[in-house]
Amino acid sequence: MNARAEGVLERRLARALNAGTWIGSGVVAVGLLMSLWSRAGAPVELAGVAIFILLPVTRVALMMATFARHRERLFALLAALVLLIIIGGTAVSVITHALT
Amino acid sequence: MSAGYELALFAGALAASALGGVLGMASGIFIVPILTLFAGVDFHTAVAASIVSVIACSCAGAASYLDARLTNVRLAIVLEVATTLGALTGVFLSGLVPTQALFLIFAVILAVSGWQMLGRRRDEAAPVDRPGRWRGVDGQYPGKGGEAIAYQVDGLSLGAGLMYGAGLISALLGIGSGVLKIPAMDTALKLPIKVSSATSNFMIGVTAAASGAAYLLRGDIVPGIAAPITLGSVLGAILGAKLLMAVPSERLRLLFVTVLAIPALQMGLAAFGVNIMRGVR
Repeated sequence: MNARAEGVLERRLARALNAGTWIGSGVVAVGLLMSLWSRAGAPVELAGVAIFILLPVTRVALMMATFARHRERLFALLAALVLLIIIGGTAVSVITHALT
Repeated sequence: MSAGYELALFAGALAASALGGVLGMASGIFIVPILTLFAGVDFHTAVAASIVSVIACSCAGAASYLDARLTNVRLAIVLEVATTLGALTGVFLSGLVPTQALFLIFAVILAVSGWQMLGRRRDEAAPVDRPGRWRGVDGQYPGKGGEAIAYQVDGLSLGAGLMYGAGLISALLGIGSGVLKIPAMDTALKLPIKVSSATSNFMIGVTAAASGAAYLLRGDIVPGIAAPITLGSVLGAILGAKLLMAVPSERLRLLFVTVLAIPALQMGLAAFGVNIMRGVR
């Protein structure tokens, strides 16, 4: 992709990460306040944490889609590989942890 | 968890992230010692909470680096294959390495980070454009006058190897592994310093997410601890980024080395069962 498309990608990533950070912070904050007087706060806090964990993963997926759209096959595949490693590796580690 | 305890965690995370932001590091290297030595949290739980903080700092900081057009996203993707593999190796090892060894490794990492801080980061000589060098991740960044400065990237195998190690250490200790990543990017890959910092910050989020997802699904993240730390980290990272621009970091180098030396000593002692805060166990 040319420099302009690259700039667009970077701006999109920046906006997505920004929005995600605030949404995640909001959910965590709500959960934290809830936890002060109710046990239901804990799962909300964890949901907020999950949003943060998903942000970088979403970022990689966005990159994969953009590379694919601009026919940069190598980088699209590398991005897909990173996603595969994260998802597959997480699944393996959870399963092995549950089995021991 | 009492509200007071959570407020203390929030404040601690804010301070750690702001300090990390000014230093150009992530927060984990301060948060794990704070949690294990002062807050009485066990090492494993501290690592899981700290990893979330590292992600929060990375996300909060990424936007400004991206806007500055410093991040090399292609290089990041290539190296992330290595760091995520390393991170998952680290998650696997975290159950096998004894806690005392982890304290000791942590102390060594702190000491090395402090020692690296004493040295000056310098733009290395540009790599010789040897025949057959892959140009796919070469890039450019805006110079002072807004002009585009092109740079070349080499030494990918060594860089990738170091990144694998960085991912492993990150997952094992709950830190951002700047101690391995910065030399990898500055020296092995020969990136300009600003590009190195921006790309490194970009990558740490993915590395931490790889281990964070596993820790979350395994139930290692304690909400009462992770929540205030996450919020403190976001605010601290934003504060740190603002301070970075206002404060001359050269002058604070010695102060920061001290700031790293103290937890290095405490973590080292903790490896041998001595906790200054609570006496010998």
